[in-house]
Amino acid sequence: MIASLRNGREAIIQAGEKSMNTPASLTIWRKTKLRMRKATWNDRRIDWSGYVFLLPFFIPFLTFTVVAIIFGAYIAFNDWGIMGAPEWVGLANFKEAFTDPWVAKAFVNILRYGIIIVPGVTILGLTFAVYVNKRWFLSDFARAAFYSPNVVSATVIGLVWVWILDTQFGLVNKYLNMIGIPNIPWLTSTQWSLIGVSIASIWWDLGFSFVLFLAALQEIPREIQEAAEIDGASGIQSFWYVSVPILRPTISMIVTLQLIATMRIFSQVYMMTNGGPAGSSVSVIHYIYTTAIVRFRLGYAAAVSLMLFVVILIVTLIQQRLIRESD
Amino acid sequence: MNISTGIRNFFRHGNMKARDIPFWIVGVVIAVLWIAPFVWMVSTSFKPAKEVMTKEIEWFPRHIVLDNYKKVFEYPVARWAWNSFVVATTSTALGVLFGAMAGYALARLNFPGKNVFFAVLIASLMIPTEMTIIPMFVGFLKVGLSNSYIALILPTIANVFSVYIFRQFFLGLPAELEDAAAIDGASRFAVFWQIAMPLARSPIIAASILLFTLNWNSFLWPLLIIFDDNMKTMPVGIAAFTPVVGTHTQLEGFGISMAGVTLLSLPGLLIFFIFQRFFIEGISRTGIKG
Repeated sequence: MIASLRNGREAIIQAGEKSMNTPASLTIWRKTKLRMRKATWNDRRIDWSGYVFLLPFFIPFLTFTVVAIIFGAYIAFNDWGIMGAPEWVGLANFKEAFTDPWVAKAFVNILRYGIIIVPGVTILGLTFAVYVNKRWFLSDFARAAFYSPNVVSATVIGLVWVWILDTQFGLVNKYLNMIGIPNIPWLTSTQWSLIGVSIASIWWDLGFSFVLFLAALQEIPREIQEAAEIDGASGIQSFWYVSVPILRPTISMIVTLQLIATMRIFSQVYMMTNGGPAGSSVSVIHYIYTTAIVRFRLGYAAAVSLMLFVVILIVTLIQQRLIRESD
Repeated sequence: MNISTGIRNFFRHGNMKARDIPFWIVGVVIAVLWIAPFVWMVSTSFKPAKEVMTKEIEWFPRHIVLDNYKKVFEYPVARWAWNSFVVATTSTALGVLFGAMAGYALARLNFPGKNVFFAVLIASLMIPTEMTIIPMFVGFLKVGLSNSYIALILPTIANVFSVYIFRQFFLGLPAELEDAAAIDGASRFAVFWQIAMPLARSPIIAASILLFTLNWNSFLWPLLIIFDDNMKTMPVGIAAFTPVVGTHTQLEGFGISMAGVTLLSLPGLLIFFIFQRFFIEGISRTGIKG
């Protein structure tokens, strides 16, 4: 269809050229021909209005993504407080960051957060999705329940869990006391604070992986699982040998997305521990925040942001490499 | 309904067998536990100050009082809620409209560079927003736009997920109706506005819900750019009730902070329970991660 249209247009152009008999009309015809040929793309007429449609989105997108990133990279090479002009310092900010014990601590911490939160969210999310997908009695309730923490703001998560994990009067410790476990200082000790924040984060983030797993499970035809069961596979066997291989792409997607999200952890940390005690729960973004807002060192904060970006990029690339290799 | 038909109906759900009952029970118990923090939050918010820090676990308040809510409103909570409402609705309306326009152009219109444009869009999802937060902070500060609605709204209106949702929708929608209107001489904008958008009800709802919750819950950016107490959004304002960085809870106890977060979580939870289907469809369709 498109090819014939193009041939038709070429035929008109050629026919037009033959019918031109004066040099002047020939010049005019050549210009028209040029325009007729030029104004197509993918062999179709160009909708110039497309650019107008894109513009209201494109201008803020360009400003707050592309321009902001370039500007951020520029700031990273400067010493800049809130007042005064930026002063070019070259790589000094990066050199400082590599010897800053707080930067090291923050990067190790986001790794530790990742080790707790990513498997937690993936395994629990998958388990809950499998359960809800059975469509047993009350499964609609369970679906809403598992997803609901995901719709509230970080403030709700932070404050509710500060209360629940309170050392003396918190719900968790009271129940632990009942089975003979003494009070755990969830958010006030260097040993536990990161774990306390991780528990709240798993509760908050789970809904996301849960929903993606549920959607993926619903795509699996029931007959496949029924066939496996008729062949004598137990529930666990049919899950492990039938569902899990089909779910592999979903699992790797969730692990990647959740890992990136966890490396950017901030709000919960800010509200539950403010990075403490003694920096035991500080995250990279939290350190960037305090560097920029409390200490007004914008250049240094931008340099640490750039480092985080590079780390996230590397992790994503490794992840995709692994996925490709395992396929 | 007698007992035996009741039992039969119970087992009819998803072909449940007798050996499945223990798993079913465990699942229901975990689901109840999963929402227990919300129940505890609401329960604490209605307790009088003396009954919050108790030795026993009291899931139901002995006395239901509104003291905590009264105390919460001694802070400018109504103002914060209004700020959040203005910012979230404006951001969502513009984000959906601009996303629909861009998504429509990418799906329907033929122009050079659109594939490159779409690739840039997808690639930008790899960039963590935190990369841009320091330069944005400096930029808004230098042009004197901190403490303003503009600072809160502008960076949110170009939402890639919104574009993606509409692009996917229009790619799957037959174009005959629009073509017919175009042949009748309607302009591209008339076709978009009068023919395409009325058909796009479900992506409009899905995108609106996603963007509204995203904007309503936004935290780091408003925390950075707003210094004036009266211009705070609700999540940032209420966050000062945490004993870790604020002083309100240390003064008044956990009752007041639970009253604050109960109010804060209402819009999100209400929207979720009303539009549950759209919510879950929207998330699983786009793979959005807030």
